[in-house]
Amino acid sequence: MTVFHFFNCAILTFGPHAVYYSATPLSEYDTLGTSIKAAVVYLITSLVKLVCLATFLNVSESDRFDPYQELLKALIGFIDVAGLYFALTQLTHRNISQNHKFQAVGLGWAFADSVLHRLAPLWVGARGLEFTWDYILQGLEANANLVLSISLAALGSLMWLRKNKPKTLIPIIYVCAGIVATMPSITSYLRLGLEWHLPKVVGFELFTSLVMAFISWQLYSACQRPSN
Amino acid sequence: MANCPKKVQNSKPSSVLIDPVYSSMIALLIIVMACVEICDAVTVVDVYRLVQYDIGGVPFGSRLASLNHHAGSSLFSSSSGAAADLSRTVLILPVRELNLTFIKEYIAQRKPLGGLLLLLPPAFSPNADSVGGADHDSVNDLMKEVLVELEQLLIHANIPYPVYFGFEDDGIDTVLADVKKNDATGQLATATTGGYKLVVSVPEPKKVASPTIANIQGWLPGLKADGDSNQLPTIAIVASYDTFGAAPALSVGSDSNGSGVVALLEIARLFSILYSNPKTRGRYNLLFGLTSGGPYNYNGTYKWLRSLDQRQRETIDYAICLNSIGSFNNDLWIHVSKPPENAYIKQIFEGFSNVAEELGLKVGLKHKKINISNTRFLKYSRWPGSTEQFSRLRVTAATLSELSFAPELLQSTGGLSDNRHFVDEASISRRVKLVAESLARHIYDLKGKDIDIFADNSSLAVNPSYVRSWLDLLSTTPRVAPFLSKTDPIIMALKKELADHTIEVNVQQEVLDGMFTFYDSTTGRLHIYQVASVTFDLLLLLVLGSYLIVLFSFLVITTRGLDDLISLFRRPPSRKVKTA
Repeated sequence: MTVFHFFNCAILTFGPHAVYYSATPLSEYDTLGTSIKAAVVYLITSLVKLVCLATFLNVSESDRFDPYQELLKALIGFIDVAGLYFALTQLTHRNISQNHKFQAVGLGWAFADSVLHRLAPLWVGARGLEFTWDYILQGLEANANLVLSISLAALGSLMWLRKNKPKTLIPIIYVCAGIVATMPSITSYLRLGLEWHLPKVVGFELFTSLVMAFISWQLYSACQRPSN
Repeated sequence: MANCPKKVQNSKPSSVLIDPVYSSMIALLIIVMACVEICDAVTVVDVYRLVQYDIGGVPFGSRLASLNHHAGSSLFSSSSGAAADLSRTVLILPVRELNLTFIKEYIAQRKPLGGLLLLLPPAFSPNADSVGGADHDSVNDLMKEVLVELEQLLIHANIPYPVYFGFEDDGIDTVLADVKKNDATGQLATATTGGYKLVVSVPEPKKVASPTIANIQGWLPGLKADGDSNQLPTIAIVASYDTFGAAPALSVGSDSNGSGVVALLEIARLFSILYSNPKTRGRYNLLFGLTSGGPYNYNGTYKWLRSLDQRQRETIDYAICLNSIGSFNNDLWIHVSKPPENAYIKQIFEGFSNVAEELGLKVGLKHKKINISNTRFLKYSRWPGSTEQFSRLRVTAATLSELSFAPELLQSTGGLSDNRHFVDEASISRRVKLVAESLARHIYDLKGKDIDIFADNSSLAVNPSYVRSWLDLLSTTPRVAPFLSKTDPIIMALKKELADHTIEVNVQQEVLDGMFTFYDSTTGRLHIYQVASVTFDLLLLLVLGSYLIVLFSFLVITTRGLDDLISLFRRPPSRKVKTA
């Protein structure tokens, strides 16, 4: 019965990635290589972040929200953005259109994130006899993360790959990118500073990810019109 | 957290990486994974198993140890009056609300049950905070009676499922309240309805191989006059120190016979002070015996006596056995096996009564006729005290006890209800004074004289803190003989204490009477898991499946168009049309 629960949580956490890949034209254009490269870049980025955090961050015993520490964490979080930049621009991809490139990169990024951060807890915890809602909430978080990663990749590709953008939209693009990039800090502030419970935080994440996805979709299609 | 990454990197480099939001969770889980046992239960409680033993091959007690079933809270389901099928349920029953008649019937009819967890009030825990004394109230006394009856019922029954004792505390009380609520809806917890699961994972109980009993004796030699070649007479003071109860890990036996042991040690201490100075050394040898095997017909006492040198044994004038002298009531009885008309017995009893009168205590005499030659009869009755065993070897003996009746086999042996709360140290001190004074008057031939040797506030006064500290120690040490190793700490402690007060100390190790066989596994840890039912998992699978399907369709429609979605389902037929 408990392996059953593990199976359920696993398909909640990793299912959407597979579904996304197969449902969209990504599968037709065989962009798997791009996704895998993006996943590898994510790994390297995380290693770099690890080293930076270990060097610069103080170990605080309490669970309070320390603004200075969080600011440092946010700054280090921008390494994420740098990694994404690298994945989008520097890697040589096969001849894929912009449209599919950012989706493939976003997908690979989100999948690597889910595997790294959620597979181990799932394997250890969800197979026990004790039942908690944590793993289901974690799966929902993974879904939100997928949407956010794809939005960030979209905004990133707009920022760095598209040369002719309408002037009015540029600041909006940067602002949205900033918000999406600092999402981890925002959620940790909510969890530690305002002391929201996990279901509330997950709900917030899902909501904001959908909102940001919608906004980035609109921005992307707006930027796409002039070139068409 | 600065140290975590390095440690974590060594164990799982690819999967552990710092992220501000999840880092602490990852680190904690890595530590947890490193442990052998992953404890993810709601509550973990220490529980103590019902004793499992055989007498002459006939099994008694609980025959199983490991437990893995759902929790239930009553013998009957609320919807139907008849008893529900409980063969895969563990019942959690607080002893406070126990209905003994139901339990008796249930056990007598050998109805199947997954397991039984009896919850004792926290006052009966050996580690309870409040110390005994004037602290006992009528509620606890009533509980004591219930426990005694329950204990006798359980140890004489053959129960084919695990029975455990636990103590009520907050965690388990909330679990029980939850289980009762669930049961009230009429369903028993099973795999399909969720609820709580109780798990005790211990290995199969094995026989305790050659259980030993250790008899500790101490010898205080008397003063031999110069030129006197005869052996000095001896007085023996004996107390058995081991216990037996429904839960061996809880059998601390404060009264039976912790009080007797404490009294013996205090008497030894007082007489060692007297005997240390040749001027005050009496013309009697004193032999102190702490015997084991008390609950089993004083097996140890008999073996110890037999091991004594024949001549030594013949010098024993009489023996005083101390058994259960710690309760709050003031009655005291001397049990003898020789008829009261016997001169010796008269002498002993008069001596005790005189001293008792002076101290304001009351002592009565009880004579139980026993047929010494009929040894079969001896096997199933124990009293008076161990005097039977003495009588078998022709030694005059008397047992001092607060009990006026003769307990049956395995009764009043220091079980569940016998703990520190029900013992009065002041009472023990008074009785120590009684025995010591009577002995001293006999030894120093002070009959009829109004002398108070062990007067209060003198250097020979009974030391209340000595009594209290030994009583506290014994009340937190379970002492069931088969489960004590040859060099168990309590045996060593008693030996050392006796060595402090006496000259020669010997520990004699014997094997327990072969008629008794004991099985190990007396404690365990109970894990209580809150489990979701199979229906919940199936429902969740259904929901997730539909979610993924919806997501798939949504993505296909938005990126490729609705036609593509429909064509996914229509492709096989259209291909057929093409080839045809």
